[in-house]
Amino acid sequence: MGQDVQAAADNSSAAAAVEPILDVDGVTLQYKTKEHLITATYRVGFKVYPADRFVLLGPSGCGKSTLLKGVAGYMTPVEGAMRLKGREIHEPGPDRVMVFQEFDQLLPWKTVKQNITFALMNGGKCSTQKDADELAMEYIKKVKLDQFEDTYPHMLSGGMKQRVAIARGMAMEPDILLMDEPFAALDALTRLQMQEELLQLWEDTHFTVLFVTHSIEEALIIGSRILVLSPHPGQVKAELNAHHLNHSNVGDKEFSELQSKIHNMLFADRILEDELAAAEGAAQS
Amino acid sequence: MNTLPQTVIRPEFEASDLDAANHGDVARRLTAYERLSNMDSVRKFSILILFIAAWEIYTRASGVSHFLLPKFSDTAVALFQAIWSEQLLIMVWNSITILVTGYAIGLAIAAVLTTAAITTRFGSDLLSTLTAMLNPLPAIALLPLALLWFGLGSESIVFTLLHSVIWPVALNAHTGFMSVSETQRMVGRNYGLRGMTYVVKLLIPAAFPSILMGLKIGWAFAWRTLIAAELVFGGSISDTAETQSGGLGWFVFSNQMDMQIPHVFAGLFTVILVGIFVENVIFTNIEIKTVRRWGMQTS
Repeated sequence: MGQDVQAAADNSSAAAAVEPILDVDGVTLQYKTKEHLITATYRVGFKVYPADRFVLLGPSGCGKSTLLKGVAGYMTPVEGAMRLKGREIHEPGPDRVMVFQEFDQLLPWKTVKQNITFALMNGGKCSTQKDADELAMEYIKKVKLDQFEDTYPHMLSGGMKQRVAIARGMAMEPDILLMDEPFAALDALTRLQMQEELLQLWEDTHFTVLFVTHSIEEALIIGSRILVLSPHPGQVKAELNAHHLNHSNVGDKEFSELQSKIHNMLFADRILEDELAAAEGAAQS
Repeated sequence: MNTLPQTVIRPEFEASDLDAANHGDVARRLTAYERLSNMDSVRKFSILILFIAAWEIYTRASGVSHFLLPKFSDTAVALFQAIWSEQLLIMVWNSITILVTGYAIGLAIAAVLTTAAITTRFGSDLLSTLTAMLNPLPAIALLPLALLWFGLGSESIVFTLLHSVIWPVALNAHTGFMSVSETQRMVGRNYGLRGMTYVVKLLIPAAFPSILMGLKIGWAFAWRTLIAAELVFGGSISDTAETQSGGLGWFVFSNQMDMQIPHVFAGLFTVILVGIFVENVIFTNIEIKTVRRWGMQTS
């Protein structure tokens, strides 16, 4: 495992000519519940380069969503630093647009188009309503929702809502698009379709995206590079390449091997945890 | 011995071509009766007609004294008389003017209280304590005090109206703001909304169902309080108010003193009509254009 991380470090030094867009450097994130102070991630470090489809992968409790919230600027690290294009991240801003898992990320009092123009105008991307309208329509067409631009979100299906959210995020043309399990609440068929569409959109513009998921398959399909995190607290387990894999590779030898490799990485912990829990139980009785 | 039910293996089946001719219309237009009975206003109006018919039939058949319960037809005649020759509409207008004054000032105060409550913890404590203390107090109970402080005049009624508007409006708005989803808050901040723009462009529309609910409750409380205040103290107030004719509550009160019972009923009827108009025309239209259109409230 240590060798893999080492290899990843070598890779990034080979790519040193290109500056990373996002540099997460030894970040520890903590949040408070009513009774506990939870350490969500412990000294996590990674670099995201332009046109990366960078996936944060791990089981629940590995702090991947918290990490994304940190990058978005909703949380401040207690240790380490996060830099976007060399500037430290302090607060949320339209240079890092977040696409959430929840369908209510669309504002229900605005139509599909208004949801996008609202972001463009307030986020400082467009200064006139006309520009915003044009740009919004361009992205609505990209996600194949023309004819729905004047529809209110509650009339749309879950998949369509997520498409609007993605269109809104992409229309902002942020330095990095942050996606927090955007397809997790969709049914399996729609999810498959959305994954393909996202890859097609990426082919168009090669945007940089930081994508959180707990599905190994989704990570391999979507991601060009995968950061595997271990749970409680989240720590980097490995950084792997998956740029050569997509839907057409599902079931291939290489795909399955990588899949089971990651599976074992994540599963090894769980066996250990189960054993510890069992041992604790035995000690108590 | 194995008693579990076993899977029955059956031959597979695939439809070769689907029959389009036999399944009939996929979407059939409803009959006129079905469509009519789906209209809210039609159903509610027919209940009203039934009620009025029962009223007319009962008063004619039982011969009940018209001092106790006048016929609907007499009430209707009295209503038209009052409108043509007794300045009923001006009285309604007087009442509504006072109401709107109290309502507007009440909303402004509620807005200040709510803003304080969502921005500071002290404001939040202040609002919840004041609401807990004053909400159970009937507004009309403050009128004697108001008369003492502000004298006989519309100021006293406006003061009691404030009391009936502020608490429900502030309480509902505050609840609405508190329950705006975390995701929507994060979306707002992501696109650079801050301070007042954050409140105006995100919090208020997101909390609008609750805010509207508060506005409706506040209006209903205020209307009741106003009529009650005019009924109980209407005579003394209207004597000194700038307007000679007083308000709607005073119309009901003075006609009762004169034993003009059909006019009393006509006055009460007008109170109800104004209530229905505001509720079913003004507020319903606001609802249709906002929360229902946005899918935040089902109709």
